[in-house]
Amino acid sequence: MNGNHLIRVCGLKKHYKDGAIKALNGVDLEVSKGEVIVIIGPSGCGKSTFLRSLNLLEVPNEGHIYLSDVDITDRKVNINHHRQKVGMVFQHFNLFPNMTILDNMTLAPVKLKKATKEQAEKKAMELLRVVGLEDRAGAYPNQLSGGQKQRVAIVRALCMEPEVMLFDEPTSALDPEMVGEVLDVMKRLAADGMTMLVVTHEMGFAREVADRVIFMDEGVIMEEGTPEEIFNHPKNERTKSFLNKVL
Amino acid sequence: MPEWIVKLQKDFITAFVEDNRWKYLVEGIQNTIILTFFALILGVILGVVIAAVRTTYDKQYTEIKNPVGKCFLAVGNWFCKVYLTVIRGTPAMVQILIIFFVIMASSDNKMLCGIIAFGINSGAYVAEIIRGGIMSIDGGQSEAGRSLGLNYVQTMWYIVLPQTFKNILPALANEFIVLLKETAIAGYVGVTDLTRGANIIRGITYQSLFPLLAIAAIYLVMVMFFTWLVELLERRLRKSER
Ligand SMILES: Nc1ncnc2c1ncn2[C@@H]1O[C@H](COP(=O)(O)OP(=O)(O)OP(=O)(O)O)[C@@H](O)[C@H]1O
Ligand SMILES: [Mg+2]
Repeated sequence: MNGNHLIRVCGLKKHYKDGAIKALNGVDLEVSKGEVIVIIGPSGCGKSTFLRSLNLLEVPNEGHIYLSDVDITDRKVNINHHRQKVGMVFQHFNLFPNMTILDNMTLAPVKLKKATKEQAEKKAMELLRVVGLEDRAGAYPNQLSGGQKQRVAIVRALCMEPEVMLFDEPTSALDPEMVGEVLDVMKRLAADGMTMLVVTHEMGFAREVADRVIFMDEGVIMEEGTPEEIFNHPKNERTKSFLNKVL
Repeated sequence: MPEWIVKLQKDFITAFVEDNRWKYLVEGIQNTIILTFFALILGVILGVVIAAVRTTYDKQYTEIKNPVGKCFLAVGNWFCKVYLTVIRGTPAMVQILIIFFVIMASSDNKMLCGIIAFGINSGAYVAEIIRGGIMSIDGGQSEAGRSLGLNYVQTMWYIVLPQTFKNILPALANEFIVLLKETAIAGYVGVTDLTRGANIIRGITYQSLFPLLAIAAIYLVMVMFFTWLVELLERRLRKSER
């Protein structure tokens, strides 16, 4: 086992409809602590499925996922325990509409006994201050703009002090003028050393922040490299034609 | 004073005042409320349990690791489905006759039989209301809960069910109203509910106008009062979101 890798994925396969749809067709990946990985690829290539299988929101059919050297695909592990270490940010925010921002953020830490209510609230307020939303702590999600909601969703995940953060198209549901504020929060997080896997169409973000860019197609990793390698000197034909379309 | 007013006055006195016949109605109101209230409680308990089994089966069956638990859940789900089909597929009146004259024939506590009969009937409808409410909550809500590390039960309890409750409140209130009115058939098996009270007065006095109009008005007032209560509650719940 290689202790340097926070996440190690081996031969991951996921199919739907009794194998008719092969969403993941053998994915291997190693992620070191502090690494920022951006995943790009055409629609339907399995980006979301891959990200979601990293915390077992999708249960893979084959392969293994090691999180800090524990195989979370093993039926015997307590997945709830491991999910606490893996923060996830969704395209549609998925804030809890019946709770205030503060309660959204403190629910899991308090119920999972990671912190007392006071500690959790103190931490939540600190995080809200960082993303410039401390005055909205008592508001309900419906009272926020899309960009504000996504910033809250990010800090809600951070309240659990995760070791890695997964982002599935975090800015795709936002109006263009709100994309920047969310990307800024993510950049800050990356600069603070958070390990991140980000599915996004924001190529500027990928160039600027990613340590590694992964191009996926047809359920496998077609090409990976530094942003410079992928964006300026792609080797794979598929990568080239995909980049031609999006850049 | 015209003749017909004098007659109405006399009829009124015969119907309610003479021999304190209004007491039949008061007793009827009490029994109708007791019957509806406890039947609803039983119905909600049954409904929650059945909805829990059915949704857990639908959402969690593949995730459960223990084979014994899996087996229990599958059997439980099958029983729930049979119960729902039978109860929703037969008339309430027939169910009540069966409970009174077949299943609980040896019991002479009529009120208890009535509560059980109406509770079992209502449970089927409440279960489907709750299950529908749970299914209407966006799947992203429970995914967000699970991704934070909350387990299935915690996610349901803290995130999904509070949202469900608010959504299904109108349907539950409607079920209560239906139940309240449906208890009018309890008189057929000897529960002295409100409708039965009116029928007793009719039997004694050979008059229908006043007793029947009176109970219609009483049912109406009870339903309106309850509707008002639910509106208050709904408004309070809604305030927390906007
Ligand atoms: N629950 C499901 N049932 C059946 N097929 C599914 C399911 N989820 C995903 N798929 C299929 O698996 C494939 C990969 O889907 P996935 O959502 O991972 O793609 P993606 O790369 O995230 O695409 P997008 O950029 O559009 O979000 C697609 O063909 C999709 O139709
Ligand atoms: Mg996707």
